[in-house]
Amino acid sequence: MPKTITEQNLQALIDLLVKEGTRVVGPKRADTMVLYAPLTNGAELDLIELPRRSAKETFFPLCEEILSYEKKDGKTSVTDIDLDKLPETVLIGARPCDSAAPGILDAVFSWDYNDEFYLERRKKTVIIGLACTRGDDACFCTAVGYAPDTKQGSDLFLAPVEGGGFSVEAVTDKGTALLARYGGLFQDQAAVSPLPVATPTMAKLDLARIKGWLDHNFESDFWKEIAVRCVGCGACAFICPACHCFDINDEGTEAKGCRRKHWDACGFAKFTNHASGHNPRDVQPQRYRNRIMHKFKYYDDKFGKTLCTGCGRCIRACPVGIDIAALIEEISKK
Amino acid sequence: MCIPDKNIYKPYLATIENIIDETPDVRTFRLVFQDEAVRDSFSFRSGQFAEYSAFGYGESTFCIASSPTRKGYIECCFRSVGRVTEALRRLEIGDTLGVRGPYGNSFPIEALYGRNLVFVAGGIALPPLRTLIWNCLDQRDKFGEITIVYGARTEDDLVYKHELKEWQERSDVNLVKTVDPGGNSDTWDGRVGFVPTILEEAAPKSDNCVALVCGPPIMIKFTLPVLEKLGFSDENIITTLENRMKCGLGKCGRCNVGNVYVCKDGPVFTAKQVKEMPQEF
Ligand code: SF4
Ligand code: SF4
Ligand code: FES
Repeated sequence: MPKTITEQNLQALIDLLVKEGTRVVGPKRADTMVLYAPLTNGAELDLIELPRRSAKETFFPLCEEILSYEKKDGKTSVTDIDLDKLPETVLIGARPCDSAAPGILDAVFSWDYNDEFYLERRKKTVIIGLACTRGDDACFCTAVGYAPDTKQGSDLFLAPVEGGGFSVEAVTDKGTALLARYGGLFQDQAAVSPLPVATPTMAKLDLARIKGWLDHNFESDFWKEIAVRCVGCGACAFICPACHCFDINDEGTEAKGCRRKHWDACGFAKFTNHASGHNPRDVQPQRYRNRIMHKFKYYDDKFGKTLCTGCGRCIRACPVGIDIAALIEEISKK
Repeated sequence: MCIPDKNIYKPYLATIENIIDETPDVRTFRLVFQDEAVRDSFSFRSGQFAEYSAFGYGESTFCIASSPTRKGYIECCFRSVGRVTEALRRLEIGDTLGVRGPYGNSFPIEALYGRNLVFVAGGIALPPLRTLIWNCLDQRDKFGEITIVYGARTEDDLVYKHELKEWQERSDVNLVKTVDPGGNSDTWDGRVGFVPTILEEAAPKSDNCVALVCGPPIMIKFTLPVLEKLGFSDENIITTLENRMKCGLGKCGRCNVGNVYVCKDGPVFTAKQVKEMPQEF
């Protein structure tokens, strides 16, 4: 029989998890915006507004220590991060455009060399997805092959139902286990009517066709036209659930410190700058071209996937109004 | 390859065993891994690169410049131009640095057996070829004629001066060294002229020959047409691409030229492959 959970019990579930020492991450209000953040109790969960930043930080933090070093009595030593100490995590209330992203990113973090910082967090996280009943003008998940009720990437999936509460569906073994473990908080209910999900307006795009154009138009005036406004602020990359570029830097002195891996963006002017001063991507249109190419061609060439879930965040964030959805729609008609 | 570590970003520790100043700002380190197990198991192929770290400053990417035929150590060669390379330069014999690698593809040395080889290098770009040159010279009977055309702006800017002398004295190597016009002293015993011009004059035969070319983009640009004129096909011209790198592991998204990840698919490419890439390097 289908399961449901009331809003109170969902909060109770969070309280219980937190009490047990699980890290619970979910949409939480921080001043003027909602962000995915660690919750200290169930009442903090805010499922109304779309979180401003993506949920990728749960697996791929903005900045994380990857080792520490110390020089003592002339001897240098390097100490690993104890990945076993990474907490068991439940990501709750992830929108479909967020829960689908790790499934895309797994490919890059696990091909040839395994990035255990990412993969260990993935392994230790249960994703409770949430059907999206509120979108806005920037949403276009349906255009790139996802949907407001896609369960892709969720272990457990919640859909708001008429009269309050959520229907609950276990999508993976992890989800089934969670459902079984906290069974007392869920009810059996034969008939529920889910609330209507959001309806992004953009029609489904032919991604193969977009890629086909990109395959042959590295040199095109299109890039100059569309990216001349881009100021290279990098907001679009930082806010994106699927962007994965990073930098590695040391913090500390010669005697003691740590090495960190942190987000970077191909839109930044110095991103590809050589030590010699030569920069292969010298002007902003070349950088913006890389952004589109990486998302809709290169990643597909390498891993067979598109690096965009249509969350619309980069559109909302761009200070100069560059609209990636409109751009790829335009490309699809070329 | 080496002992796999769970943390792919963790470097091995190495001690600087020797330092050679190649030019006023280019320095060679000879490095010995501190961990005996790493020392025994670390193996690489000519053409591969590594990430070298000065703790407190970060990592920098250079090729492994020594030959895998020389066991027990590796060498790197770098110009001090930034924060990390300047910090590396401040290190002294006996100091510790970090090394991650080896990464990337390598020169197809087995495919070069029985062929004549022409090495063409400019300035600080000799190290990526030097690993292969010694690799070939250490198994000299496997290769045909070996010609090395190497030039720099001035005599001072030539790297591996001691080895150039050694190659010059060997009867089984044809070394053609040159400096740009105006870059020579009165005692200079080499040629004067830009690398592409000198290569054209030296006119190595392209029959059964592979050209291995490394240099600044401008040198490569003028060298390829010369090689073409001499009859080299694009498949028989091998070069290395340099791009800014961070991870070396195909993850950080920094080094791509089109859909080619220089750190994974390269750094060694044929001229044919390079021509097929978007011209953004
Ligand atoms: S590219 Fe923009 S719309 Fe696509 S996933 Fe990233 S932030 Fe969302
Ligand atoms: S957010 Fe807009 S201005 Fe900023 S880098 Fe992205 S496209 Fe350019
Ligand atoms: S250097 Fe990081 S992807 Fe190539």
